[in-house]
Amino acid sequence: MEFEVVAKCPVTNARVSKMKLAHGVTVLPTFMPVATQAAIKGLTPQQVESLGINLILNNTYHLNLRPGIEVLREAGGAHKFQGWNHNLLTDSGGFQLVSLNKFTQITEEGALFESPFDGKPTMLTPEESISIQHAIGADIIMQLDDVVSSLTTGPRVEEAMWRTIRWLDRCIETHEKSGKVDTQNLFAIVQGGLDPKLRDQCVDEMINRKHRVAGYAIGGLSGGEEKDTFWRVIKQCADKLPFDRPRYSMGVGFAEDLLVCVALGVDMADCVFPTRTARFGVALTFKGPLNLRLSKHQAEMQPIDDTCPCPTCSSGTTRAALHHLVTLETVGAHAVTQHNLVFQARLMGRARDAIMNGTFPEYLKTFFADYFGDKGYPEWCVNALRSVGVDLLDGKDNTAVVTGSGAVWDRSE
Amino acid sequence: MSTLNFTIQTAEPLSQFTPRLGRLSLHRHEGPPAQDILTPALITTTSRGIVPHLSRDNVVATSPIAWTQVHFETFLEQTPPVLALHKGSHPLHTFLGYEPEKHILALSLRDPHDGQEMPPNTKEYVTCRCVRGVRRVSPASWRSLVLACKPDVVTALADTPFTPLPHSQKRITKSLERSTAWLADLLKPSQETVPTEHPAVLVQMAGGNEVRARKAFAEGLVERLYGKDQELVSPLQTLDEGIAGYVFDLVPLQLSLAPVAAARVEETVSSSAHERLLKASLAPLPITKPRIVHSARSPHTLLRLIQDIGIDLFDAHFAQRAADIGIALDFTFPAPYSTQTEEQHLALLPRKRENRTDLGHNLFAATYAHDHSCLAACFAGAASFPSISQLSSEFPVCLCGACSPRSYPSWIQHSALDTLPTDVGTFQKPFTRSYIHHLLHTHEMSSHTLLAMHNLTVMEAFLAGVRGVLSKVDGAKLFTEEVTRFHEVYDEHMVVFEEAKVEWASVERARGKGRLQREKPGNTTPLADSTAMSARVSEKGAL
Repeated sequence: MEFEVVAKCPVTNARVSKMKLAHGVTVLPTFMPVATQAAIKGLTPQQVESLGINLILNNTYHLNLRPGIEVLREAGGAHKFQGWNHNLLTDSGGFQLVSLNKFTQITEEGALFESPFDGKPTMLTPEESISIQHAIGADIIMQLDDVVSSLTTGPRVEEAMWRTIRWLDRCIETHEKSGKVDTQNLFAIVQGGLDPKLRDQCVDEMINRKHRVAGYAIGGLSGGEEKDTFWRVIKQCADKLPFDRPRYSMGVGFAEDLLVCVALGVDMADCVFPTRTARFGVALTFKGPLNLRLSKHQAEMQPIDDTCPCPTCSSGTTRAALHHLVTLETVGAHAVTQHNLVFQARLMGRARDAIMNGTFPEYLKTFFADYFGDKGYPEWCVNALRSVGVDLLDGKDNTAVVTGSGAVWDRSE
Repeated sequence: MSTLNFTIQTAEPLSQFTPRLGRLSLHRHEGPPAQDILTPALITTTSRGIVPHLSRDNVVATSPIAWTQVHFETFLEQTPPVLALHKGSHPLHTFLGYEPEKHILALSLRDPHDGQEMPPNTKEYVTCRCVRGVRRVSPASWRSLVLACKPDVVTALADTPFTPLPHSQKRITKSLERSTAWLADLLKPSQETVPTEHPAVLVQMAGGNEVRARKAFAEGLVERLYGKDQELVSPLQTLDEGIAGYVFDLVPLQLSLAPVAAARVEETVSSSAHERLLKASLAPLPITKPRIVHSARSPHTLLRLIQDIGIDLFDAHFAQRAADIGIALDFTFPAPYSTQTEEQHLALLPRKRENRTDLGHNLFAATYAHDHSCLAACFAGAASFPSISQLSSEFPVCLCGACSPRSYPSWIQHSALDTLPTDVGTFQKPFTRSYIHHLLHTHEMSSHTLLAMHNLTVMEAFLAGVRGVLSKVDGAKLFTEEVTRFHEVYDEHMVVFEEAKVEWASVERARGKGRLQREKPGNTTPLADSTAMSARVSEKGAL
């Protein structure tokens, strides 16, 4: 991997960088859409690349079960299997073991789980996870980590943090011995729950291994913790992580979360939110989400966003037409998915341009004014951005501030 | 007024029921003409106004999509129907995302594949179905809806009963009277002083399974009108003068012929009966107008209808349905000659049963998990050739988005730093059977998208093959030979469809959709009982 920071925001910690991988250059910060089962839901790879997206994510856990490593090896890796010629990232499978499998037991050796095929106890070790990811062949691979819910407290959190570090060492060993370090890049995952002390220790240990890892992820978040805690952990980690390594915040996909993370110095994020919400008929816009299933949209003869370059909006698909299709025809999901992926890409593309031009703080202010407008700014965003020198409320005496997550939704009146 | 010109291009002397080549040209009062269509040609079917599984960009990229059939009834769930609210010169095209230059939009009230029982029609209205239940549409409201939507072509309302059989003589007589009156109502010249877009009108050939009734209805169309009847449609002298083509929906025909066996249509049993009824309708009519058949069950049926009756347009319902249930079509017309060895094919041919080859691959089947070849053995992908001009004439190429995926000519740029790749617009490697097998089992929508593009393209290649043979010297004779050979090579019973339906239904109905639970060895649910299942999944219309 060649990683180069090309611009830094003079106010916040945001930066623009170029990450050159085996399948091309991806400019950061960026959002990575999730192709869990080797397909962005409903779209072809040609459609996805035409949206201006060149880094997507596959899930190791799912691909290992289906189609299985043998099929992927025969096909020449996941890129060829799914016809994707651009960059690809795979997670380690650790998160799904915990989130999808209630019988998973973590031992020092690895994660012991019940095979969804035959119910037999199966062990996923760090070595195994890396070798599966080698067969998949993604440009960025993730270490196996010991994931605990972000709501867990007590000694288990510390245990998981130290084990994640030990597992990182085993992943590094396997990866370096494989001879794939030139084409595949291993990322470490910072754990430590919501405890600043543990996070600190974890980051320190992982920085010690800097010359053997290509980048860092901040894991163990986006699991229902308070947003106020979320941003503080992100900031703490991003502040300490090496400047010359990409930083990846796992499971972040709401527009406001993404921009806060970028301001705190995060370069990459992934989430199923934009594609999943599209299937439920929710279109994302710079003025907040639109729930196209609501009857108030049934006769609206304008596109989701008439400034949007996505195939759905630029071909003039009206909200009324989408109202007629969403959740009833797969085409409705395709159209809104295309739009939402372009929305995420525009959000991040505009951030890149703003950072390059030195106008990122203004971009943040404009975004929050348009997106939250009269609904009130989330307090945690205001605090998070204040911590990096941007006061969203500056000159906005009449703007309300709301506590909690503050996420906005389109509701029927 | 849109006019649909049909010119028959067969050189040989033409009789009433011989195969023919034709060219359809649509001229619109406003806006561009649509691209001409060579017949025999394909009609793309829709659901809720869109081609199932194909987003707008994929519809445009799929060249066989030209004549597209939209049924209005699904839009009746809202009052007023949203379709009728859109303004502009081509509201139907714009609202649904079709291109006037490329797509001829034909509108009918009812989905021609829907054979479910319905409440009776009356003198005042036709009953139809939307997701909120049964709706009534009167001839007057149909006329105003059509004038508001401005389709290119419209089928007049017909009184086709979907009530329990048998239908009495009196009922059939009423059906003829109403269908004729409703046709006349649609043909009435518009009262507005400003000329508006008035679509070309097709007529559904009424008369059910009665040869005499069908004949009487057709004769009524060409009968010279007098008095009030003529005044109504003036300046037309006969109803037929205002008609652009004749439509046959096989679903109600099949129901009226074999109500009991309707769930499993015994095609060969009824094909001669179909033929007799279709001929009875066409005999009194001029031969120069396009003839349209909906819901033909198989390519074999298409060939028979072309050969024995001279049908010009067919919908691709069976091929599109195949994409729903995980089948990749793999056949050509003329059928491959046996001189082609297995090695000359790029991939394994479909399964053979009793010496006849399946029409396609059931990609749900476990055998495809490790099959990394392209979808069809009969077609190569464009990426196998150095340039588009060098596409092989010896080996057919499938230019669909699955066999010849092509990166888009332009990509969206999101920031000044984004570098766009230089290989835009190039052909990529074909998607493989193993990939689509994987997508089907994981319940990924993309599987159906790729299959829908492929199956429509295979159907268009099939009809291009038909036109190719018919255009040769001595075409009709050669065609007869090739039809016989096609029947010898390909399985008409379509067992592969039944097999795929069972697997499709088990994925579709399994809780959690793509769940692995279903794949545990020995997990045979009652759903796997193929006979019970095929009865249950027999889609609407049973064809």
